[in-house]
Amino acid sequence: MQRGLQTLIRLALLALVLGLWEVLPRIGAVNPMLLPPLSDVATTLWGLLGRANVREAIAVTTLEVITAFAIAVPLGAAAGILLAENEYLGAIFKPMLFYVFSIPKSIFLPLFILAFGIGFGQKVGYAAFTTTFVVMMSATAAVESVRGDYILVARSFGATPAQIIWRIYVPCMMPVLLETLRISMIFNFTGVMIAEMYASRTGIGHLISNWGENFQLPQLFAGIIILSAVAIAFNETVRRLEARVGAWRQ
Amino acid sequence: MTAPSPILVRRAILVGLIALWEILPRLQVVPELFLPALSKVLVVLASDWQVFGGALLVTLYEVGLAIVIACGLGITVGALVGGVASLRSLLLPVFSSLYAIPIVILYPLFTAWLGIGPQSKIVFAGLYGFFPVMLSTAAGVRVIDPQFLLAARSMGATLTQQVTRVIIPASLPTVFAGLRLGGALAIIGVVVAEMLTASAGIGYLVTLNRTILDSPRVYAAILAILLLSILYDVASRALERRVVVWQSTGRQSAPAARPVSTATPQATAA
Amino acid sequence: MAAVSMNGSARAPASDIALEVRGLSHVYEAGDRAVPALQDIDMSVRAGRFIVIVGPSGCGKTSLLMMMAGLRAHSAGTLLCQGRPIPTPDPTRVGVVFQEASLFPWLTTLDNIEFPLSLRGVPAEERRRRAEAMLSLVGLKGFGARYPHELSGGMKQRVSIARGLVQDPPVLLMDEPFAALDEQTRMTMGHELLRIWSTTSKTVVFITHSLTEAVYLADEVYVMSPRPGRIIDHIEITLPRPRTYEMMATDVFGRLRERIWQQIRHAQ
Ligand SMILES: Nc1ncnc2c1ncn2[C@@H]1O[C@H](COP(=O)(O)OP(=O)(O)OP(=O)(O)O)[C@@H](O)[C@H]1O
Ligand SMILES: [Mg+2]
Repeated sequence: MQRGLQTLIRLALLALVLGLWEVLPRIGAVNPMLLPPLSDVATTLWGLLGRANVREAIAVTTLEVITAFAIAVPLGAAAGILLAENEYLGAIFKPMLFYVFSIPKSIFLPLFILAFGIGFGQKVGYAAFTTTFVVMMSATAAVESVRGDYILVARSFGATPAQIIWRIYVPCMMPVLLETLRISMIFNFTGVMIAEMYASRTGIGHLISNWGENFQLPQLFAGIIILSAVAIAFNETVRRLEARVGAWRQ
Repeated sequence: MTAPSPILVRRAILVGLIALWEILPRLQVVPELFLPALSKVLVVLASDWQVFGGALLVTLYEVGLAIVIACGLGITVGALVGGVASLRSLLLPVFSSLYAIPIVILYPLFTAWLGIGPQSKIVFAGLYGFFPVMLSTAAGVRVIDPQFLLAARSMGATLTQQVTRVIIPASLPTVFAGLRLGGALAIIGVVVAEMLTASAGIGYLVTLNRTILDSPRVYAAILAILLLSILYDVASRALERRVVVWQSTGRQSAPAARPVSTATPQATAA
Repeated sequence: MAAVSMNGSARAPASDIALEVRGLSHVYEAGDRAVPALQDIDMSVRAGRFIVIVGPSGCGKTSLLMMMAGLRAHSAGTLLCQGRPIPTPDPTRVGVVFQEASLFPWLTTLDNIEFPLSLRGVPAEERRRRAEAMLSLVGLKGFGARYPHELSGGMKQRVSIARGLVQDPPVLLMDEPFAALDEQTRMTMGHELLRIWSTTSKTVVFITHSLTEAVYLADEVYVMSPRPGRIIDHIEITLPRPRTYEMMATDVFGRLRERIWQQIRHAQ
């Protein structure tokens, strides 16, 4: 199938979904209380963006997301590289990591509340905690994706350690690293949202949680749309980059 | 002197952690409110076993149905998207984009629609597990070697026989990996949902006891959840090993949730 | 170009012809492009002969084999197996062995060999008996319960051969069956194949890129041109049987090998 045609079909699908969203509640096929028409949601969305408390919530959430990310990525990367490079430590801790993965990490939320109280620290701490594991796993995989024989070849041509890092490790790992960042961000965002929805006084997660409880569905849908748009935009941007630096991979 | 074997070290770490859990609170190095001694938690768990057991049953019920949704839909759609080339190129990019959305933000919508009973948890956790299971199944189906089908055809296999005797057995490892992943995610999703808004279930007990600052009961519930997810992991791995004995390497030993490729993440969030 | 025969051996009576190919051509339709893959192929394979096909990569050897197996249709010409066309695969008439171990990893060795029998509902007992017999024919007695991943490359190909032969088809087609093996295993496997062939008296059509293998195994070698594939030479291998490794060092062997090589080289 040609690309143009595919894009067309996708756009048609999108238009269909949006169209149904508008029409079904209008003609009463679904309860407009439960699914407010798209146009109402759009109006609400526009109004929300002008409100001070919403703007403040967006600012808080953004700051939390960035801070948690800035803590989790170096921490997780360092630990992940250590586990990948040191065989002994890897043998000890990698199986444990696998177990940690199937555990619902939200059960540790109460601990973060006890440690930090309800606020910035608790939310950032929890999100960084969950994200660190993801970064660790991906970083391990990233290091292991550099094949030993490339390094051997480079050495045989007399490459210095610095050259090996810059000419072999970095280009080899670049696509994987970007993928790591992208996926970590998905988790990080989720972590902040959960922490905000669980116990918080501000932030977008707190707002949508409240809107849901108060049956303010136009606001709730508007919030979901904003968050989804931001998440998809970030994801797609990094994916483009990944495709560019990873063109040699197959 | 050689270093002790990794397994030994791992056991020692586990034993050490358990010991610290008992000793630190007793020596009042950490406050009781923050971490009550393990023995206290166990005592509460034993004396209130009916409460915790009842809550676990509610959770298990929700998890069971969520697994049916996540795996049933995830494996079916994944097999279609992975197996049919035109669907794949049309829909896979769409699904990968949607996958970036933190699904937990949809939970308030589900409680508004379905109430705070089990339904909203089941739908949320089902959806939570759906994407990763679907993506990993799609990836798995794509690696079925076309040579297998050619060989089967050369031996006179009919179309039905190609499906039942080749495609289905060849995708079993993928399906099992999907089941394991979907189950782990269903548990995570249900627990998160119960912690956020609920009136029953083991996650609800965590939140309820946290708000009344009853730390031993918070930890008792946490312990129950830990046991549940570890048991599920061990059981599903054992089952997988028995069914997929023929696999030399790969999936069976991989974790339920490897965040490495686009196929699986999200498992660990929450 | 017409087939050349090195010694004008007497033609066999028609009933002895296992495979008959007359004016076979094939064009692949790839999107809006047409790829002529095979052109005017003529072959006449007598029953019980060991035929080897060689030719540059992409000349259409695999395609031809697929058509002989009933796995692919052809555009023009006729293809007859024992006087009848092969519109669909029929493992009782033609067995196939592929290059990559196309054994099913989820089945044990015995179950793999039984697979074609089980497809047509042969009773379990008879299946087992025939599979066991095949297993000892290929020298793998006692390995029946192993899974493919527990076997070496050479052993896997032995199992593939056993699977191809289990329905006792008069014709066995082999597409570079030993290409993935190391040189030593490959030599042993060639030798083994000749042993199996001589005890079962099958007609074998064998594709290879190794000229040594071709001369060592074959009664007749067909040489194909680059795409579109045509038969540009047909060589009778006059070396006596049973073949021995020592023959490889002889002048006759070297000359035959050289002739094939020259044909392939000049056709480029
Ligand atoms: N299904 C197909 N559709 C279109 N073209 C094809 C198809 N199969 C093969 N071809 C083309 O037909 C030609 C012959 O292919 P074939 O696989 O038969 O060659 P071959 O001689 O077996 O090559 P090799 O020695 O590399 O195995 C090639 O150019 C190939 O690209
Ligand atoms: Mg070929």
